[in-house]
Amino acid sequence: MGYVAVKGGIQAIEESIKRLKYERLKKGTVLDSQQIEGGMRCLIDQVMSESSLYCETLTAMAIKQAEGSPEEAVFLLRAYRSTLPRKHYSRTVQSEEMLVERRISSSFKEIPGGQILGAAMDYTHRLIDFDLNKETDDEAIKWVCEYALESGVDNDQTNLSNLPKTLDYLREEGLISTCEINYDEPDDVTKESLHFPTSRSQRLQILTRGQTGAVTSLGYAALRSYGALHPTVGELRIGNLPIYVDSPFLEQNEDGDAYYIGEIKVTEVETLFPEEIQKGNGEKEIEFDIGYGICYGQNETKAIAMSILDRCLEAANPEYPIHNEEFVLLHIDSVESTGFISHLKLPHYVTFQSKLDSVRKTKK
Amino acid sequence: MIRKRRTMILIKGSSDVPAKLAQEIQDSYEVKRIEESNNGLVMIKVREKAKQSLFYLGEVLITECKVMINGFLGIGIVQGHQPELAHNLAVIDAAYNASLAEINAWTKVLLIEENRINKDNQVFMKKILKTKVNFDTMNV
Repeated sequence: MGYVAVKGGIQAIEESIKRLKYERLKKGTVLDSQQIEGGMRCLIDQVMSESSLYCETLTAMAIKQAEGSPEEAVFLLRAYRSTLPRKHYSRTVQSEEMLVERRISSSFKEIPGGQILGAAMDYTHRLIDFDLNKETDDEAIKWVCEYALESGVDNDQTNLSNLPKTLDYLREEGLISTCEINYDEPDDVTKESLHFPTSRSQRLQILTRGQTGAVTSLGYAALRSYGALHPTVGELRIGNLPIYVDSPFLEQNEDGDAYYIGEIKVTEVETLFPEEIQKGNGEKEIEFDIGYGICYGQNETKAIAMSILDRCLEAANPEYPIHNEEFVLLHIDSVESTGFISHLKLPHYVTFQSKLDSVRKTKK
Repeated sequence: MIRKRRTMILIKGSSDVPAKLAQEIQDSYEVKRIEESNNGLVMIKVREKAKQSLFYLGEVLITECKVMINGFLGIGIVQGHQPELAHNLAVIDAAYNASLAEINAWTKVLLIEENRINKDNQVFMKKILKTKVNFDTMNV
């Protein structure tokens, strides 16, 4: 199939772009990016995760420009990201260093450090609050001040910046197998094109930057194909991770030489999958395998779905498409999938005309 | 004070602190700009616990600045678009690398700010811990 360049329609395109601006502004209100950053937390988290670029302020601007379309905002951020130099790689981040603000387990009632609900929509009534229509800035500030003055707990000295991992607790109990620390440097899907079979680092990188809806749908499809086996969330934690960068001028960096550059909020999930293992003596035992999910911001559904897909791709099974890495990994990227679908609306005059000619010939 | 600790205090604390410390140096020394504050990316490397392997989570927007004082280089790196803070951090970093006399008095300033950050952190944690679940088994 060949492509032919055509020209024309410049004036129409210019007017179309003006029309787009008119649609954004015609109600006479200009959205303040700061308001988007303040009030659209979940959308910002979703777009940052899918664009694989962490910056709340920039994301708010992209959402404003995209009129709230996540796919367009992700496209803008990916395009902007491609203009910037990658100056550094962070020191290895581990989620034990997280300052936790939410942490739950559906597997264990009692986990070391406790179940901490933090901010969650899970316990709300899901009834539209019509009072929000009348909410004012003054009322909001008053509420925040009153909340700040409320006292915290006095009798709980839990250190939220050093909470143990539930998986470690299970490993100590011998309920899940231990594994050696892997020091292999990760592959980077933004630097090298993907070849199959993929490495684990490539899979995790593609899954974490996947489109939320696509990751969730495929995770759901995987669950439905599991039958009687049902994964359980061993631990879901949300909080801020500190980011450190080594000094680029030192050959050997000591721990204290690092630059602290800020922190990022992430959602991290470890899901437990019961698996029947055939022992040497013919007896069967149940062991747990683990699926891992993580994404920028607070996006629990995506992180859980990612952990399911991680487990599915680790245990490749030709019977199910969700266990096929080519099927999953090549279809969940926002820019790739929306880009290819969208290209169908671009002019295909020549290719369509040739098909039309063929149809006319067969009709004669 | 080691860089890891002081950069955390300077970034997490009030922006008035790095502004004041950097100004102190700029008033007394020639600060040569090697690289104006500019945006770039830092790729985040993560270790996951399921298989203990490493992978890249994604990138973070940063602002970076480089300055030189008395032949000693200083770098300021901070998350987001914060050109002024990046510049101030670079000046302070160069002051430490050049072991300027002023840095001796800074430890006290930084410790006071660290104390304030820790207090805020305690308040934050105590608020979050109000959402900790106290399970009571229902008698059904």
